[in-house]
Amino acid sequence: MKQETTTPAVPEWFEARRKPRARIVARWVPWVMVGIPVLVLLAIVVYPTVWMAYHAFHDTNMMGLFTGRYAYVGWQNFANVLSDPRFHNSVVNLVWYLTFGATLEVLLGTALALILYELVPRPGLRVVLLVAMVLPMMLPPSIVGVLWKFLLQANNGAVNHLLINLGLMAPTERIDWLGVDLSLTSLIIADVWQWTALPLLIVYSGRVSLPPAVFEAARVDGASRFTVLRRLTLPMLKEIIAIAFILRFMDAYKFVDKVYVMTSGGPAQSSELPVFIAFQKGIREFQIGEAAAYAWLIFVVAAVIITLFLQYLKRVLKAQAFA
Amino acid sequence: MSETSARLIRILLLAFLGVWLFFTLFPFYFQLITSLKPVAEINRMVPTFWPEVLVPGNYAGIFADPGSLKALQDSLVVALANTALSLFLGTLAGYALARYLKGPVGENLSFWILSNRMFPPVAVLIPMFFLFDNTPWGTDSYFSLIVLYLVFNLPLATWLMMVFFRDAPVELEEAAYVDGWKPFQAFSRITLPLVLPGMISVAMLCFIFAWNEYLFANLLTGTNVKTFPVHIPTFTQGSQTLWNLVMAFSLVAMLPPVVMFILLRRYMVRGLSLGVVKG
Amino acid sequence: MALLEIRGLCKAFDHVVLDRLDLDVEAGEFFVVVGPSGIGKTTLLRCVAGLETPQAGTVRVRGTDVTGLPPYRRNVALTFESYALYPHLTVFENIASPLRARRRPAEEIRRKVREVAKLLRIEHILDHRPGEISGGQKQRTALGRTLVRDPDVFLLDEPISHLDAKIRHELREQFHHLEELRRTATLYVTHDYAEALSLGDRIGVMGPGGLVQIGTPEEVFERPRSLFVARHLGQPTINLLPAALRREDGRVSLELEGCGARLPLTAEQAAALSARTGDRVVLGVRPHHIALADGAAPADGGLLEARVELYEPLGAKGVLLAELGSTRLHVLTPIDVHFRPGERVRLAFDRSAFLFFCPERGVNLVD
Repeated sequence: MKQETTTPAVPEWFEARRKPRARIVARWVPWVMVGIPVLVLLAIVVYPTVWMAYHAFHDTNMMGLFTGRYAYVGWQNFANVLSDPRFHNSVVNLVWYLTFGATLEVLLGTALALILYELVPRPGLRVVLLVAMVLPMMLPPSIVGVLWKFLLQANNGAVNHLLINLGLMAPTERIDWLGVDLSLTSLIIADVWQWTALPLLIVYSGRVSLPPAVFEAARVDGASRFTVLRRLTLPMLKEIIAIAFILRFMDAYKFVDKVYVMTSGGPAQSSELPVFIAFQKGIREFQIGEAAAYAWLIFVVAAVIITLFLQYLKRVLKAQAFA
Repeated sequence: MSETSARLIRILLLAFLGVWLFFTLFPFYFQLITSLKPVAEINRMVPTFWPEVLVPGNYAGIFADPGSLKALQDSLVVALANTALSLFLGTLAGYALARYLKGPVGENLSFWILSNRMFPPVAVLIPMFFLFDNTPWGTDSYFSLIVLYLVFNLPLATWLMMVFFRDAPVELEEAAYVDGWKPFQAFSRITLPLVLPGMISVAMLCFIFAWNEYLFANLLTGTNVKTFPVHIPTFTQGSQTLWNLVMAFSLVAMLPPVVMFILLRRYMVRGLSLGVVKG
Repeated sequence: MALLEIRGLCKAFDHVVLDRLDLDVEAGEFFVVVGPSGIGKTTLLRCVAGLETPQAGTVRVRGTDVTGLPPYRRNVALTFESYALYPHLTVFENIASPLRARRRPAEEIRRKVREVAKLLRIEHILDHRPGEISGGQKQRTALGRTLVRDPDVFLLDEPISHLDAKIRHELREQFHHLEELRRTATLYVTHDYAEALSLGDRIGVMGPGGLVQIGTPEEVFERPRSLFVARHLGQPTINLLPAALRREDGRVSLELEGCGARLPLTAEQAAALSARTGDRVVLGVRPHHIALADGAAPADGGLLEARVELYEPLGAKGVLLAELGSTRLHVLTPIDVHFRPGERVRLAFDRSAFLFFCPERGVNLVD
């Protein structure tokens, strides 16, 4: 049977395939359907990015922009940025922010999702708890900043007084959450409070959609819960956790809403992030050339990460399609 | 592992869950009671965790304030218009990508579109601050926000609609063609109803992102147009922030996203994970 | 002029599926295409329906070339293997869909859908959605959607393959009685040879690249043109025994390899094969052409002794797996006998039904 079902010798028409004639819709229609958003994105994303690239090599400032007088300065803007201690400081802040923000959110979110799914007995209760834990995500990030700024006030803030009431702190003691030492930590706390919900939600839903048969089989084999977690659950959720991490990482990298609202980068630049400085230089100080250099450095790093991420995403989606 | 230590671990983990719930919900509780307190009580040196006086009038205060109503209106106009635009363009493009452009060109195009969502808006926002001045509407306008929110919502809508259209079986559309329906009719009568839940959830995600957006609105607008995230921190009297109004308004503004989430949780999760989680 | 005329149809994806396929289906004819899964039967239907575009070749319906037309401009009805019912519409609306697409008046739609539903005995579920009905009812609904519309050609893709045996038989009987199908040309695709033999006015066996044999069910079953066709039709499958043609005293006989037994041939067979004396051939004997000999041997010999390996009583008949030298044979037996493994039996071959194939090219040497 085998040799008979293999394909026959390739006939001559196969090489000279004709273009298919009957089409459900004309060939150009789908291209137009995709073309409109592509044009929009070219206009509102690519064009400004190129504009920034141009000005990154010029000494453009507010006046220069309006009079059209600015000079080519080569890599000077980049050199300025890269040698600026303010930039170095912000990069260090960013590394802390991403490590303790994004990483903590994914670790906590994964742990909480699995605890919720595995250990809370009633499905109804699980959903209620899930919704409760996801609430912070529904607030605008800026409002989260406002809220935490209020809670973290040194003198009559709720957090300090809660710690006192719980006996964790002397009644006279005051932690200066928004001071030089802790401002970045406070930003991270607010971020973790808000965004642990995202990995939590994604991992929880991923866990729900895993096939129960596999877990029943494991239980029949007598595997302990810990073994099941390590050998089955986590490997099967690996991709989902990775994607939750990347999503959080990119968002934390690019958004500075909370910085604006909670600390404005201060005090004394203790909570500045590169994106925040770029905005300040560009829109508040009108040092457009230098802001452009900042923006491009940020952009290039993002481009590398995004390219890697999209390749990973492509692989995950392909694997899913064949699974 | 012995029976007792297993139970102990279980209790510890559940306790951790409880602590986290407290951590999550305490700020909301404090937000709620603050929104019901009079200003004098808020400004005390020691905050009260159980309000002494309840002032529901704070909520009425928001709606009595023309600035707040304007902020809600602005937010609503911008979010709705942007959502409608994103959804319309995203549905068309997502459909074309899912059904017709399945080759390497279409695939790369779809990933390129998605990549626009993830890029830091900083490279877009600074030029736009200057470029929108050259449009007849100016920077501080509905137009600039509605268009600029496409930067993150259009890629999202396109990508997710593509995912949802891929979930809808092609055969149903083919059956419709064989039945005699023309392409647009087959699309609107058969495919669209099938992806409707997905589409609604995409609309809601777009709405939430536009509704909650702060950075663009803060930097580009503020006088003619002032969405609520920009408006809320400006509840001040002299140098004093009116925390009760801030908190009351935040809670009110949080309602639409929360309701949307509870209604369409599954589809929203698929959306938030860019289609990876089946939901 | 045939109602459906396919000429030189070529379709390839990353490999060649249909290579210059020709097929005519007359008005009123029920034509069944049978072949193994994945061979391209569905692709053929989709080309006729307009869902696939062939690289070359033409499809004509009532003399009109429709090859370049999209499906909604062809008056061709197709049922999908997966039924492809619209999940958000009721059974009524599913059946009404082709009529609505043609903007027929509501009154006519209601009448026609009810007629069809009555015919298919699904009137009671017209208000249900596809998610709420059984597999058989889904199939009837899908069928209703094609019957309601009076098309030029009916295309049915494995319509009953996924149903349980009982409903399958019931629907198969119903196909015989559907007047609508008998009025126009029907192209019916299945992998089940019994369906093909039972339903087809003519059947076509599809092999790699296209139809390898076309004919009435009897022709194709009894005189398969190749090993492929012989093997695909019949259950249990045809017994294929390697053998060699020998000439002795001017008589041609067949020596089975592996057991050395000799079988005499009929005069016609001997005449047709005499040129090939000494060649190796493959002997094809269908299981029902082997009988169990209990009494005296037939006059011309041809009685072989074999060892029972397995016996499956199947209710109306039994299947015996016998070992003959180094080869194995399936034999269809009446039900009133019983065998134990290891037992010896004597088998009588019906010589007139012998088929001879070329071992290299697989072609039927006598036909």
